[in-house]
Amino acid sequence: MSSIDEDEALTAAALNGSAVAWEKLVRRYESRVYNQGLRLMGNPADAMDLVQEVFLGVYRNLHRFRGDAKFSSWVFRIAHNKAVDLNRRKRILAGTVSGGAEDDQDPLDSVPTDARSEPDNRLVQFEQNKNTMELLMQLPFEQRLIVELKIFQSLTFEEIAQMQDISENTAKTRFYTALRKLKTVSEENHALS
Amino acid sequence: MPCPKTEHLLQEYFADDLAPLAGEEIERHLAQCEHCSQELEALLLTQTQLSTWQDEKTPHWDRGVELFKRENGISKEPRGWFSAWQWVPTAASLAMFGILMLNISFATTESGFTLSFGAEVNDADLQDVVSSLRAEQEAEFDALMARFEERQDANNLQLIQAVMTQTQQSSAENLDRLFAYFEEQRIQDMQLLSQSYQQLVDSDYATIQSLQDLAQFVSFQSSVQ
Repeated sequence: MSSIDEDEALTAAALNGSAVAWEKLVRRYESRVYNQGLRLMGNPADAMDLVQEVFLGVYRNLHRFRGDAKFSSWVFRIAHNKAVDLNRRKRILAGTVSGGAEDDQDPLDSVPTDARSEPDNRLVQFEQNKNTMELLMQLPFEQRLIVELKIFQSLTFEEIAQMQDISENTAKTRFYTALRKLKTVSEENHALS
Repeated sequence: MPCPKTEHLLQEYFADDLAPLAGEEIERHLAQCEHCSQELEALLLTQTQLSTWQDEKTPHWDRGVELFKRENGISKEPRGWFSAWQWVPTAASLAMFGILMLNISFATTESGFTLSFGAEVNDADLQDVVSSLRAEQEAEFDALMARFEERQDANNLQLIQAVMTQTQQSSAENLDRLFAYFEEQRIQDMQLLSQSYQQLVDSDYATIQSLQDLAQFVSFQSSVQ
């Protein structure tokens, strides 16, 4: 059974009230949504908030899923919208108006406190992820979102433009601007270290 | 040197569906323009750095299962034949506990079987057990007392020996000190006696001298008269 067929079967079973099917469905996508949350929100607590909101949204709208698109695309569209909402709420709570870089986020928060006790490869992984998050958190949310969709979710600019209701050129420009900013920050970091 | 084409050119480079002609044009420009090629290299490196991300494990959460069950009216798991029997081990454990606590015994005799709660008590056996236990305790107590006395005696002996040794050492030291004191006193007395004798001798000498002077004066007076 292909992954798409399996998604359809699990969705159908969940719609028929199978809690086991629902849990399997969540397990298939939770890690990808959580890691997307880490990259977009910059810390595990907000990433978990995103995971919960996304799957609550999936659950509430499961009966609307028509099957004419891939289930994964549908989940990540919901994840995208929820991330935008969550970021907006956080910005309102923090009292920030501009969409500038969110320096108040400490990327170190994302590293588990017991990382020292992890094996070396886990430490290296946390270190690399920490660096990536530090870089991404230098970007305004809109640019971070484009980088997420383009690099980590491998969407085309056309898909990104549709998802964000912007033109394809705007999506390209945002991506290029984000990449240039990331390059500058990365070079500055190297010069400092 | 900055190139005016960099922004437009690199934006196109990252486009998804670059036309072959446009692609060739970009490659041609990159081969000639050092600034653009360096910029592209740096951007690609940044992209690679981002790609080093390794997925982290999702923290534990209930995956919305409780909500799902609640809203789908699944209050409990379906009770099959297994779930009906799942209390058997607990019940068996409780029964065994009861048997042990109440000391239930089951015996078969010629006339049938007996079920009794608590142990049967035979007075004679109990007396035997009590007396043997008492004798055992007394023997143990005596042995303990004997060991205690022996140990106490040994301790006392050691203590007396230690005290005697201490006393002997102390007496010898005292005698030494007394002897030294007497010796010192004797030397002081001898010195004092010697000084006194010398003074006496000096005094005698002075007396003789005076007497001689007196005799000379008397003889001088007599000759004058």
